[in-house]
Formats: sequence, structure tokens, C-alpha cells
Amino acid sequence: MLRKVFFAILMPLSLAALVYGGFFREFKVYDNLEKFDQLKNVGIKIKIPGYDQQQPELTVQSQWFSEPEVVNAMTFDGIGLYKDGRLISNYPDLRMLKGRRPCPT
Amino acid sequence: MEKLRLKVQLACAALFNIGFVQWHSVCFPVLNCHSCPISLFSCPIGVIGKFAEVGLVPLSVIGLMALAGLVAGRLLCGWACPFGFLQELLYKIPFPKFTMPSWTRFIKYGVFVALVLLVPIFLSTASQLYFCRLCPVATIESAIPWAIISGTTNPVSLSIRLAILFGIVMAAMAHRRFFCKVICPLGACLSLMNRFAAIFPERNTDCIECGTCGKVCPMGAGREKDGFGAYDEKAEECISCLECRKKCPTGAIQLWGG
Repeated sequence: MLRKVFFAILMPLSLAALVYGGFFREFKVYDNLEKFDQLKNVGIKIKIPGYDQQQPELTVQSQWFSEPEVVNAMTFDGIGLYKDGRLISNYPDLRMLKGRRPCPT
Repeated sequence: MEKLRLKVQLACAALFNIGFVQWHSVCFPVLNCHSCPISLFSCPIGVIGKFAEVGLVPLSVIGLMALAGLVAGRLLCGWACPFGFLQELLYKIPFPKFTMPSWTRFIKYGVFVALVLLVPIFLSTASQLYFCRLCPVATIESAIPWAIISGTTNPVSLSIRLAILFGIVMAAMAHRRFFCKVICPLGACLSLMNRFAAIFPERNTDCIECGTCGKVCPMGAGREKDGFGAYDEKAEECISCLECRKKCPTGAIQLWGG
């Protein structure tokens, strides 16, 4: 009986986690902000929402990723963490994270 | 049933490394490295570690693992895991055998917490202590192929991995499913659900309490006198291989739980 009670409690919880995580949860992923910081340090003006509003030359892009897309990106080290807690692409272009397959070359 | 299990294990090993398709958005709850150039699914342990590094919880992965655990428990270890299959083949090689103390089964929970969660959170997944950098499956399916394809930039790391793989292969030859019992963090996660699993070997009323099932269990799951299936001693270790069913003198064991 105890076993069935645990089963009845855990089954909807795991289903809810699977459905929410698999179909509804999204993460905002930014371009590689650490690279942008390096570009700033060598004198190139860039625009990052929040702290460099005057310079329109280069703008940081961001995209919403579903959790399965993030899972896929994690399998090739595609996503990292910026110092302020934002998720960033470890690759130069965000588009490289969606649907990319690890390539032997 | 043994032949059926062998066929399923072979089919799963082929399916998970099918080569021309990759579906890494989805984790399948067996230990099969997604860095393998020909892997089909991603490894839940690798994904959990990566998410831990960036401070996130992969809900879909945990939900899928919990669901798989609740439906089948560690049946996936016994029937689908390619590395479990490899260890069973290794154990058939003539080699001095040894037994392990019962408490060693708790090591795998520590491995999961320390090397899969704490190391990525407090150090990094680039740390040599991170589980995937020590995992024998990753060494077989990823480190060795990549070293052959494109060489290695870190011979020390590769040497450590090869030494660990060698140690685990030797241990698997000497003790049946050594890695599954003692080290596997995925086995640790699934074993938490084993006692609640819908599909689990159970004894029916034909049982004569001879204790044969406890003696032949390759995972060392014991049998308490008044226990029944999932309530047995160490039932969380059962991989539903049905060795007990084969040896049961009264045919009292069935896979579908009560």
C-alpha cells in the first residue's frame, strides 16, 4: 500500500516535470558576453542592453531556447554562465547552438 | 528469457549508437556518452552535470528519469544499458572472482552527489574531478575515438581516464557488474525509484521460501523471510535480469509487480 501511495504521488510529479520542462520551459541565452567584454577592452564600441546604450555599432543578440534545445547545446558545451548570472553562448553565434551536431573536424 | 534479454541488450547497444541520426535534445536513462560521434541520445548524467554548472535544474531530464524509474526501476540497467551489457560479457571471461562487502553499494550515491553535482557547482565541468572526465563509458565512446580522430591535447588526462577504464574492466571481470553496483551515478538515481517501480520481480503464493532467489541474484539483492519482492533487503539493487525466475523451483516469480 505504501508503495502504491508513493507511486501515485511521484508519478504525476515526474510527468509534470517532464511536460513542463520538455514543452513549456524556456531560457534566454545571450551572445558570448565575455567576448564582447574583450572587444570592449581593445577599443571596439558595442551596445549591450543595460550598460552601453550610446554605441549602436554592435548589439548583443539574445534568443529564447526551449529546455530540449538547451539540453542539446549542453552536450557540446554550447552554453555557459556570464558573471551576472545570464546564460551565454560559448560559440560566436547563437544560431550555432540550435540543431548543431558535434562534428569530428 | 535470458536469450530475449541478450537480444534486447544487443539491439539497444546498436540503437543508441546508430550513427546516422543524433537526437541529443532527448536523454535516454542509460549510461551512453553523448560525446560519442555516433550516439543517438544524450546522457542524463552528463546533462545534469552541465546544468548544475550553470545553476539550473533540467526538469525534463529529471522528469524522464523519474518516470522511467517509476515504470521500470533499474530494469533499464539490466536490459538496455550498453555498459551493463559489456560488463556482463567481461564477467564471462575466466578470471579470479571476488565478492564485495554489502556497504559498497552506497558509494554510488556519494559519486552522484560529489562528482556529478558538487564538482560542477563549486569547481567546473572542466575539472578533472568531474564525473564525465573519469567515466569509463565516456573514455570508450568519446575520449578514445576523439583521440584517434583528432589527437589529444591533454595526454595526462587521457592517461588517467585509460587507467580508470582499465581498473574498471579488471574489476568487472572479477565481480559481476562492479561498476553498476558500486559507482554508477545513474544506477543510484534509478535505484531510488526501484521499490516503487510498476515493473518489478515479485513472488506469488507458490513461493516455498527456499531462498534460491536471494542466493542467485547477481546484484546481491537479498530476500527477507516475510518480505515480498520490492520489500526485500537491498531491493533497490535489483536490475530485473530474472536470474531468480530462471532458478526458482516453483516458478513463483513474475516480472509484473503486484
